[in-house]
Amino acid sequence: MTAHAIRRPTSWARGAARQLLLDRNLDHWLGTIDPVLSLSVGRARVTRIRDETHDVKTFTLAPNRRWRGHRAGQYCVIGVEIDGVQQRRCYSLSSPPGAVEITVKRVPNGLVSGWLHDHARVGDVVECGRAAGGFIVPPAPPDKLLLYTGGSGVTPAMSIIRDLDRRDQIGDVVFIHHARSRRDVIFADELAELATRHPQLRLIVRLDDQHGARGHDWLAAEVPDFAQRSTYLCGPSGLMAAVEARWRQAGASDRLTIERFASPQPPTTATGDTVALALTRSGRALTAATDRSLLDSIIASGAPVKYGCQMGICKTCMCRKRSGTVRDILTGELSSTADENIRLCVSAPTTDIELAL
Amino acid sequence: MKAAMIRTPEGAHPTATDGPARLSRADADALAAELDALRAEIVAELGARDVAHIRAVIHAAVAAEAAGRALLAIGVGPISFVAGTGALALAKILENMEIGHNVMHGQYDWTGDETLDSHAYEWDIVCAGEHWRHSHNFEHHTYTNIVGRDRDVGYGILRVSEVQPWRPLHLIQPVTALSLALLFQWGVALHDLRIYETLAGEQSVSELAERSRPFFKKAGWQLLKDYALYPALALWNAPRVAAGNLLANGARNLWTFAVIFCGHFPAGVHFYREDEVTNERRGHWYARQLSGSANLEGGRLFHILTGHLSFQIEHHLFPDLPASRYPQIAPRVRAICERYGQSYVTGSLRQQVKSVASKLVRHALPKRARRARATTTALPAAA
Repeated sequence: MTAHAIRRPTSWARGAARQLLLDRNLDHWLGTIDPVLSLSVGRARVTRIRDETHDVKTFTLAPNRRWRGHRAGQYCVIGVEIDGVQQRRCYSLSSPPGAVEITVKRVPNGLVSGWLHDHARVGDVVECGRAAGGFIVPPAPPDKLLLYTGGSGVTPAMSIIRDLDRRDQIGDVVFIHHARSRRDVIFADELAELATRHPQLRLIVRLDDQHGARGHDWLAAEVPDFAQRSTYLCGPSGLMAAVEARWRQAGASDRLTIERFASPQPPTTATGDTVALALTRSGRALTAATDRSLLDSIIASGAPVKYGCQMGICKTCMCRKRSGTVRDILTGELSSTADENIRLCVSAPTTDIELAL
Repeated sequence: MKAAMIRTPEGAHPTATDGPARLSRADADALAAELDALRAEIVAELGARDVAHIRAVIHAAVAAEAAGRALLAIGVGPISFVAGTGALALAKILENMEIGHNVMHGQYDWTGDETLDSHAYEWDIVCAGEHWRHSHNFEHHTYTNIVGRDRDVGYGILRVSEVQPWRPLHLIQPVTALSLALLFQWGVALHDLRIYETLAGEQSVSELAERSRPFFKKAGWQLLKDYALYPALALWNAPRVAAGNLLANGARNLWTFAVIFCGHFPAGVHFYREDEVTNERRGHWYARQLSGSANLEGGRLFHILTGHLSFQIEHHLFPDLPASRYPQIAPRVRAICERYGQSYVTGSLRQQVKSVASKLVRHALPKRARRARATTTALPAAA
């Protein structure tokens, strides 16, 4: 999500302040008084950090006035500055509306999750974009609900079940959660307590080290009506692919709502390969060769694109990459970050690419 | 290095082909590899230090602006007027040079900080950011010093090289240059409208009107800010504030004019004909940046006030590296230049201003043009 996308349409006063260059001066002084204050950038102060499991922590945030609240199941972009660079990641909010909490699992060698676990302290300020995402349960919840989660994918489902509990709307709900082992079950106590209080809430915890990580033979026996349930799925990509396949097989794909964590696909590097290139603003679907720049491919397709030097210096062709991995033609460096600006003239695709063009 | 390293002997005027010999393909590729490696080394080092630097400069500029505007608005007497005007001029110079110019080059895009985003930044000058990003970042930095392609060569109104054909307008160019110095921000703003090209029939009037829209919008808000809003806030001090703003804008104009003219127009800087730069390899482009730019010598504060355009050569090699890194790489760039037989023009501000001034006077007259044209046609096209 870009910063521009989370900006509200400016009123005339905001517009005038911007033209008169007053807004950034004001923002500068606000930030000098207190780093969390800003008229233009969503920021939040960390007010509490608690351990959930051996490698999962929950961070309670107090956002500034840019925050517009969230609906259960949504995510927001959290940015932390590491060695001068704003590193941004999407995190599902684990709290019900009202509170702002993210629950973060430490990813091996993960830059942002590692920083949050090791360096974040109560009182620190992080960037905090507005909540977004369509992984939400309608205000009148479906009669039969299935929340299907794996690992840290439990976070948006936790927000949903907490919200339903608060509104006293927990009806016929099945909550399936996969974890590696007993000690990896996030929110274990709270889920057990919820299940005790709500007889219609059935909790099924599947542990890889006890039940095995693969196969869905047990599903039809444990949840015979799974294909009739409105299902919300969030978890590791392998689990999600398996569940999607099972639901497709049962002809229930249209009852499946999915929240995907972006994970870089393995790059394809052989020359002569082509990848799919989607231009999201103009709605064009192109193919792009992996051994030439994205700009070349776009120009060849006839799609309109602004460019200049074609050697990486003038940045006229800079464009936001929504997803995918590109190789910097000058340095050979690969980059998979979602929602980053790239120079089309010196970026060659190594995976399918989505551009905000 | 106190004297300019490359000086043109008095009386000898370089022609288009007086510059360093064109590098062989192998040498050009080797030069490109060395400079690319230098760039990669700096890119790998970028971090918190660079962000801290630009934020400190932004803080200084914002604070100087607040102090200057406050002194002008609520002060009494000449001392606070001079101090206020000076602080505001300092703020505008820092904002235009070390912050605006460099941020808009994308020198801090790697930080992901929205306030340092090259495509979103708007600077405190009548030139619209979107115009600058085109005429400067693309045209000038890609076609540097190619007469006919780089519209920054004399800005279409001044003759700074024999390669440029003489026109009667050039007779008054010492006066033109002085006026441009005082009104430099307007010159910069009008540059990308292509008024001259419209008069010459190369651009339609409707295209000119289209291009003018961002300019009128930006200039209108700028005039409103400096000559209506802030004076009005000062109530009875309004004339004093307006006068202070005018002088601060003027001082900024003079300073930026001097720095920028010394970047490409002093003696020893080479200009290219279009036919000299065909089939250019990356190394040739680098070499053209080396021979087409000139540095200024001074202390750390001087460099910051020039936005590190005092390292014009390093800036042209790596326009999107944070400018505060240029002093660090300059000795190595210079050593590379010596090894590849490339020129590296440098001198003090005073020397270079004199050099540019004498060049402007000399080239006002048509005599050189005729001689240069004869020389040009007699020479075979560069290999």
